[in-house]
Amino acid sequence: MDRGCDICNKLPFGTALTLLCHSQYWPQVNEVVRMVRFPKFSTPLLTVALMVLLLAVLSACTSPQNTFDPKSDAADSILTLYILVTVVASIVGFAVLAAMVWLLVKYRAKPGVPAKQIHGNNKLEIGWTIAPIVVLLIILFPTMFWIAGTADNPGPNTLEVEATGHQWWFEFTYPGLGPEGGDLITANELVIPVGRDVRVTLHSDDVVHSFWVPQLVGKTDMFPGRTNVLQTFSAYEVGEYYGQCAEFCGAAHALMRFRVHVKTTADFENWATAHNAGPVALEPGTAAARGQLGFATCAGCHAISGTVAQGRIGPDLSLFGERSTVAAGILDNTDSNLKAWIGDVRTIKPIPEGARFMPTFKDTLDEGQIADIAAYLNSLTAE
Amino acid sequence: MAANTGILRRPLAPSGIWAWMTTVDHKRIGVLYGVTAFFFFMLGGMEALVMRVQLASAESTIVSATTFNAMFTMHGTTMVFMVVMPAGAAFFNFLVPLMIGARDVAFPRLNAFSYWLFLFGALLMNFSFFMNAFPDMGWFGYAPLTSNEFTISNATDYWVLGLLIMGIGTTAAGFNFVVTILNMRAPGMTLMRMPVFVWMTLVVAFLIIFAFPPLTIALTFLLFDRFFDTNFFSDIGAGSDPLLWQHLFWIFGHPEVYILILPSMGIVSDVLPTFTRKPLFGYTMIVFAGAVIGFLGFGVWAHHMFTTGLGPWANAAFAATTMAIAVPTGVKIFNWLATLYGGAIQFKTPMLFTLGFISMFMLGGLSGVMHAVVPVDSQQSDTYFIVAHFHYVLFGGAIFGITSGVYYWFPKMTGRMMSEPIGKLHFWLMLIGFNLTFMPMHILGVIGMPRRIYTYAEDMGFEPLNQMVSAGAFVIALSIIIFTINIVRSVRQGEIAGDNPWGAATLEWSISSPPHHYNFAVVPTVRSQYPLWDEDANVVTPPALPAHEEPIMPDPSYWPIVLAFAITMVAGGLIIWQGHAIAGLTVISSMGLLGMRSIFGWVLEPMEEEQRVSVHH
Repeated sequence: MDRGCDICNKLPFGTALTLLCHSQYWPQVNEVVRMVRFPKFSTPLLTVALMVLLLAVLSACTSPQNTFDPKSDAADSILTLYILVTVVASIVGFAVLAAMVWLLVKYRAKPGVPAKQIHGNNKLEIGWTIAPIVVLLIILFPTMFWIAGTADNPGPNTLEVEATGHQWWFEFTYPGLGPEGGDLITANELVIPVGRDVRVTLHSDDVVHSFWVPQLVGKTDMFPGRTNVLQTFSAYEVGEYYGQCAEFCGAAHALMRFRVHVKTTADFENWATAHNAGPVALEPGTAAARGQLGFATCAGCHAISGTVAQGRIGPDLSLFGERSTVAAGILDNTDSNLKAWIGDVRTIKPIPEGARFMPTFKDTLDEGQIADIAAYLNSLTAE
Repeated sequence: MAANTGILRRPLAPSGIWAWMTTVDHKRIGVLYGVTAFFFFMLGGMEALVMRVQLASAESTIVSATTFNAMFTMHGTTMVFMVVMPAGAAFFNFLVPLMIGARDVAFPRLNAFSYWLFLFGALLMNFSFFMNAFPDMGWFGYAPLTSNEFTISNATDYWVLGLLIMGIGTTAAGFNFVVTILNMRAPGMTLMRMPVFVWMTLVVAFLIIFAFPPLTIALTFLLFDRFFDTNFFSDIGAGSDPLLWQHLFWIFGHPEVYILILPSMGIVSDVLPTFTRKPLFGYTMIVFAGAVIGFLGFGVWAHHMFTTGLGPWANAAFAATTMAIAVPTGVKIFNWLATLYGGAIQFKTPMLFTLGFISMFMLGGLSGVMHAVVPVDSQQSDTYFIVAHFHYVLFGGAIFGITSGVYYWFPKMTGRMMSEPIGKLHFWLMLIGFNLTFMPMHILGVIGMPRRIYTYAEDMGFEPLNQMVSAGAFVIALSIIIFTINIVRSVRQGEIAGDNPWGAATLEWSISSPPHHYNFAVVPTVRSQYPLWDEDANVVTPPALPAHEEPIMPDPSYWPIVLAFAITMVAGGLIIWQGHAIAGLTVISSMGLLGMRSIFGWVLEPMEEEQRVSVHH
């Protein structure tokens, strides 16, 4: 919880303290309480359940993939239901465990006290068949309303993006935003404007993957030969969010990650314009200019818009200098990481033999050539 | 009648390895299942420990990605198909005939055949380890990752063929137990007088019969894709559909969950009355709830697929059915708790594990209801929250229940008691280790840790909780070592048990521990659900008969093991065929012929060997 309290967290029982004084989730909790109309006697149980719930939240303080720290309308609406079911499940769980402990203590074997020979009780049994039905209806109806409310019905100002999963990277296409009204294609870092509905359609080029940005939207799978649509979402705040493939997709599944950059509308438009314009003319003799020539080696697979490099086998590298990561969201975009990646991807990702993936260049290119290509890629910025 | 249809003489010695390999005695087959399941439990546990060592630190490089992927694939496959299912089968085999007052199952040789197919299928699959082709595409084998294009080694072939072979044995066992339970009950043992464990066995047997065919079909499609270039799941451009695999797999996979858990529900329903000293509360309700779970279990499979884009209607329908299945489950838990009411509760080790089952399984059930809420599942699916959930159900549920059963029936199986102090130590260590391992996984799921990742970056914030989880895994391992010590020690020097050490009420406790090979000298007549607690208990414990009047039981047969071996080797021949066509075809054809010969031998084999017959007359 990035808005959590540093002082509280350092104290004993800091988690509980933070919960009592700083929780940002009370609005959602109140909403749930209103929705369900808990009877008064359940308040202590509710408190206990909330303590446990928030313990979970608080231990999550630092994770950039925390589902309890939503940053979009979609993730927020999911969290409301998440809290509802967590509270209901916790109350039932604690109540049953408490009943069990009470029974065990009260009816432990005592000398001279025989067991009551009871075979059953129809009224009671009907009662506790109906009780779970009632509890389940409490969560069934909000679930149904949520499903109905998220029917795929894009509004007029919705940004359309197509995401394609590849072993082991993501490709993003913006239809109509590219040069001359064509496609704008980028990879591994999705750029979207803040506060605008985004509708992502999902495909896969090989095996099943899953698109997941925990703070922005729940996951939906990416299938070869099928088109899925992600729940439409609108990000609350400018920032950088972590995404990750969530369906096992082979050897390097753990390293198939991506980022989402939420920008202001102006920044987003600048980014798209610069993306389409391609690189500025480079001063001859610089490392970047040498790298641009050297990039011919890479152009069979990689594209950089506005240049002759138009390969579509690997990730599009336009505006690479704007990206914060190398290798599908797993390494910071530093000069040394980029050179290491170009030199030998196999020391960074576990690519099985025979898989279609980038070759190892450290044997065909010398260190200087690799450094030049790295310099060229990081010269590709929106400035 | 043919005098001897075999090639070899049937072994008639009562003990020795040959006797065990040719046995058709349900009790011995039960023991074989149990011992094998325990062996694979150790193996699957070690696979889990490898994963936990790797994940104990961020960006760890202790094992490679491929090794880690193989570990979670085989951990899942092993625990489901080679541990929990055969452990259930061990109890079905040992107990069902004893509980219903029968002398054996309906088809004793088929029963042996089921076991040998299970064993050989499991060995074939694990043999891949030595061929450097350990399956690593996930226990769920999602297409098209399993196609030749994405799985270059034979790993997936071993997995498919191993599962198919085990599936044949399991399906045969399903039919065997349906027939046994419906036809071989003692006089007076009406359906509604059967112990709940027998009822749950019946439900599981039906689930097996209806759930295994979809799996067999899916595996056969995949087998044809891999061996004969058909196109069910592999070539998307040509019209195959990977989603079809998921439907077929989960329409098997969800009933499978109940195949795994219902035996434990039966065990605790029989343990509770014994240690509360009172009848089960709402026997009828518990039985019907089990049957309802069996039916509803076929209508919830798509909740494994909420993120596959089935659309709002399918998601809404499966959310509703999934919530509905929580109702009969809840009813069972309430009835178990009500059984405690008014009891004189004895906290013996089997009872402790039963209470562990009820509480931990309930927590797993509650997190399961959370997944039914489609939007919540879109955040939880394929995260550690799911891992936490199904371990609460399958470890906190199935394994605790099975362990309870081991402590409870060990005296009947071996004639000796297990140590109570060691058992209690085992229970508390396992309970603590279990919660230390799996409770933090809920939180890991909440903070966004996906499943099946062999590594995670330091800035993800996953490390502290993962350290806790890994520590917990070793506490569980320690508890299992203690369990093993308890078993080994008790087999040799446990206190002599006697016929009915717990003062229990059901038929199996009316005969000697361990039982004679014919179980009941005289088939008992049953008058209630709790025959040994009735006043006229002596009607079910007739005096032992003189030896020459012992019931005649079927003789051992080596055809089941030979046929199972031949079938497994045909599958092995298919794998050889991929690399060496001639050698493969030779193995396939010779083993095929052996299999045919075994079937004839089996069919024409007399129930008794001739020399044995002459002794009787």
